[in-house]
Amino acid sequence: MAKTSLIERDVLVDMPRSQGGRARLRRGRSDEPDVRALRLPSGFPWILPSLVLCVGLIYYCVGYTGYISTLSWDGLSPNPPSVGYHNYTTGILHDPVFWGALKHTAIFFVATFVAQTFLGLLFAVLLHAKVKLGVVYKVIIFVPVMLAPAIMAPVFREMFSPPGQFNEVLHHLGLGFLTQPWIGQSSTALAVVAAITIWEWTGVNFVLYYAAIGQIDRSMIDAARIDGAGNIRVIVSIVWPSVRGTTFALATLSVIGALKTFDVPYLVTNTGPNDATQFLGTYIYQMVVTLDHVGYAAALSIVLLVLSLILAIALQLRSRRGKLT
Amino acid sequence: MFETRNRGQRIALQILLTILVLPFLFPLIVMVQGSLQGQGWGNYRVVLDVPGLWRFFLNTVIITVGVVLLVYVVAMLAAYGFAKLRIRGKELFFWLLLGCLTLPEVVLLAPLFVTDLKLGLYNTYWAVVVPLAALQVPFAVLLVRNFLEGVPDELFEAIRVDGANAFGVFRFLIVPLTRPIASAVAIFTLVGAWNDYLMPLVFLQKQSMQTVTLVPQFFQGEFNDDQTKILASAVLTALPEIVAYLFLQRHFERGLTAGAIK
Repeated sequence: MAKTSLIERDVLVDMPRSQGGRARLRRGRSDEPDVRALRLPSGFPWILPSLVLCVGLIYYCVGYTGYISTLSWDGLSPNPPSVGYHNYTTGILHDPVFWGALKHTAIFFVATFVAQTFLGLLFAVLLHAKVKLGVVYKVIIFVPVMLAPAIMAPVFREMFSPPGQFNEVLHHLGLGFLTQPWIGQSSTALAVVAAITIWEWTGVNFVLYYAAIGQIDRSMIDAARIDGAGNIRVIVSIVWPSVRGTTFALATLSVIGALKTFDVPYLVTNTGPNDATQFLGTYIYQMVVTLDHVGYAAALSIVLLVLSLILAIALQLRSRRGKLT
Repeated sequence: MFETRNRGQRIALQILLTILVLPFLFPLIVMVQGSLQGQGWGNYRVVLDVPGLWRFFLNTVIITVGVVLLVYVVAMLAAYGFAKLRIRGKELFFWLLLGCLTLPEVVLLAPLFVTDLKLGLYNTYWAVVVPLAALQVPFAVLLVRNFLEGVPDELFEAIRVDGANAFGVFRFLIVPLTRPIASAVAIFTLVGAWNDYLMPLVFLQKQSMQTVTLVPQFFQGEFNDDQTKILASAVLTALPEIVAYLFLQRHFERGLTAGAIK
């Protein structure tokens, strides 16, 4: 075993040499006397396929995008001129559509996260009570998660159109004065996109909260009940703090999801009217595919990537810090 | 969690739940109802008679199976390596993988487009399967690694003392042991691949290669915005997912919770 392990170690040091920086970092620790290390076979060949597939492909793409972002390129011409930081400084910084998309993303994130958290937790709490046909409710809440937004898009376009079923229901409820062209006007289009997303994703929050609530120590709740706590008090003082980890996980998912938003605004509202439902994903897509501003799209992509990384890391750090105190 | 003290409260709770759940049911009702307007079931016959409809399903199935297999194999191997084997700079590699978790797929568009054209992969399954798998692998590795780290090392030492090499350990210990978490991985990979829209939209321009998520657009052209037919096609494409979910309900939910509660 020791012999093969030595051979593999040579391979190991050799392999990353072509990848520059990483090799140095790994060689630095290579002389530690570790009994386990000698006995265990090296795991590097095992993780290699994943590194080639993910790190290889994705980091290659990110690097390539970074390079393209310094060009003024339509995606076709063989020798695009380099423009340095031009795409970022004079481009993105002064692009009202970009800032608009960012604002929509922020509003969209807050709206969807608050609504999904509230509804998800509410359903989870209510379905933990003794209700009849609990499974039916669970299925109804979760089915939207399964359905592709692209497939549901025509349904929502019809539903929110002026003669659509949503306005019809408002009429029947005696709220006829509220009827309006929901998709066709800037003031409500973003709300429609958010509502569709809430419809689609509440099931995820629900299932996760449902599982998290199942793990809460029952005796804690029983004790609170004996002390006279009512339903609301139990939810606020015991359930909500207990599912904190899940809330942070869901917040992270929502932030990344909001930054990735593409299908719904692209298919339901067509990013309009007047860019009212423009998001970073749809904007980048338009820049690449319909307008051929590939260099500018690459710069936008890099900004998007940095934003998602920073926000995801910030949320993770916050969630950890909370655990310690 | 939520206490109902008497019959009245129990009924009130049931009514409240039913009202709350209605908005979730509503779009599905709109979809089915809309698909039956005009010619009624005839809409479905017209949609099913469109030549090449099955091709969309076939393409989606091929792509989904490809992604799930690729993610399964790659993630299993990697999770075993990360959890139980000796790797120098292990955590560095792990963080490199996790960095891919936040990546929005739209970032990949331009570079993949150029590369696919160069390699002749444009309009092939590979153009969609490989990037989709690459985007799913990090999360799968994270899940399976967490799972395997909960398995005591003694088990691995025992089987190695019995003479199994690393491959034997993988084949006879890892594969059977990880079955529950593997089904979770398979399911969320499946849903992700099946529902993906952007990748096929950009990389599969040839109609015979397109997937079910592109069906609504296809029918918009085909039926000149005849909503009833478009909705009928939406029902037909949504149906397999709903049926699959109803049969595998428990697995789906476990797959989700395995991801976030750990």
